[in-house]
Amino acid sequence: MENHVELDNVSKFYDTGRRLHALHEVSFGVEQGEFVSIVGPSGCGKSTLLKIIAGLDRPSSGQVKFRGGVICGPHSKISLVFQAFGLFPWRTVLENVEYGLEMQKAPKEERRSQAMEYLGMVGLVGYEHMYPKQLSGGMRQRVGIARALAVEPEVVLMDEAFSAIDEVTAEVLRDEVAEIHKQTGKTFVLVTHNLSEAIELADKVVVLSSRPAKVKKIMPISLERPRDRTHAVFVHMHRDILHLLKEELENTFIRHKLKGISELQSIHDIEANSPTESKQEEKKPLVKT
Amino acid sequence: MSVEKQKALTLSLTGDVFTGEKFGNYLWIFPLIVGFTVWEAVTRAGLVPSSRLPTFSSVLVVFFASIQSEAFLLRIGHSFLNLICGLFLAFSVALPLAFVAGSRNRFDLTLTPIVMLFGALPDLSFLPLLVMWFGPGSVAAVIMASLAGFFPIYFTVREGTKNIPRELFDVTAIFKSDRLSTFTKMVLPAISPHMFSGLRLAYDFAWEIIIAIEIATRVAGIGNFIDSNVASGSLQNGFAAILAIAIVAIVVDRTFFGSLESWTRKWA
Repeated sequence: MENHVELDNVSKFYDTGRRLHALHEVSFGVEQGEFVSIVGPSGCGKSTLLKIIAGLDRPSSGQVKFRGGVICGPHSKISLVFQAFGLFPWRTVLENVEYGLEMQKAPKEERRSQAMEYLGMVGLVGYEHMYPKQLSGGMRQRVGIARALAVEPEVVLMDEAFSAIDEVTAEVLRDEVAEIHKQTGKTFVLVTHNLSEAIELADKVVVLSSRPAKVKKIMPISLERPRDRTHAVFVHMHRDILHLLKEELENTFIRHKLKGISELQSIHDIEANSPTESKQEEKKPLVKT
Repeated sequence: MSVEKQKALTLSLTGDVFTGEKFGNYLWIFPLIVGFTVWEAVTRAGLVPSSRLPTFSSVLVVFFASIQSEAFLLRIGHSFLNLICGLFLAFSVALPLAFVAGSRNRFDLTLTPIVMLFGALPDLSFLPLLVMWFGPGSVAAVIMASLAGFFPIYFTVREGTKNIPRELFDVTAIFKSDRLSTFTKMVLPAISPHMFSGLRLAYDFAWEIIIAIEIATRVAGIGNFIDSNVASGSLQNGFAAILAIAIVAIVVDRTFFGSLESWTRKWA
């Protein structure tokens, strides 16, 4: 089967002062209707990768293909859910969801009814005339999700979409996204630093290495949905990915010695998100002095 | 400058106490009444000679007579028109420049220091030159008003543009917005709170400048009217004109800028 989205040796360099190598020959495919999570150490270039798939940024070499065609700019069938929601504060909830359709010059009534349909899907009917500032973080992200879906994309990209929301709300929202994925059969690509979230939602998890990011491992996840985070396979998988990422960070430490303070912090972030069982695991010393 | 600071600055210059409960909105009338009563009492008692300060009641009488005189209203209209033209000119030059300066760092570094340099000069120092080039008429007044209005608009719009979250540009790109709709549907509303503060400041500065020019160079207008009446000893007319300017300035401030700001207050 041909991949819906395909990354073919995508590399990215930045030339701001010193040359920064962000991505190194990243290749993987996403099948139609598949849910793919991308995880990696903090600052490894996960979001850059997503921006390239979205057409917001160009790869320095290699290419991203959508339905076999090379992507060289935002595509009307690829939509994005933003980390900080990206809502227009001067627009009401309804007007925000309508925005994408407005840009496609859809007639007003069609815009309205379509926006209302997706507001219904994310449970925001009754809030359509409120402004974003009147909503909680979780509700704002629901607006963001409705806006992304309203243009009827084939691929929905999510950039750390649950990270700016409190954990309980995020939990509920993840379930809803899983449900939307099941119902609509759209292709989803989620970038996240939360391993449990990645495993819970995805059909496969792409693990990236630290900078320059390469594909370290692709792990298919065949657990039945809805997924139980305390299931032995889930916990095992979580531990495996965590182990891969720790390995990456340890490599970075050895390379950078004391420069690694910020990476040390990111290990704590990852561990804070682990299920309880893996925390009982004996911790290896991270830096050998 | 942050939005809050800028708001505070605008408010300190224009006042914005017209919120809160209904009765509270009219408390300001009391000190005004006290002030006018003291004025009336002091002048009636002869504590101040009427050649220095006419009674408040006589000023009111002249005021109500004046606002029925076409010549008087035309003078105010003339000043107001110069002011509006000046602001319009300032806005149409400052907005695009400030937007580009706010979004392109190179352009900002090239232009903004120059703008600051000119901004540091007292605007009125250009007046003799303008009068020499264009004569003591509306052209000089409009240019001066636009100079005074340029700086607050430029700096607030530039700041507003810099404060637009990067993410919002990505949003417009993802949904394939063209340049024009990106500007009208994203940039303009995003910078509007800053822009309205700038316009309000520009409006206040421009009034000062317009009156100053009319007094200094005898450009026809209400400032010139005050000057000539005070010089010829007809103080009631002078006071009546000041009262009229105050009313026009405040009414425009409350209605026009008030409604712009109540729009932004809904969502910002």
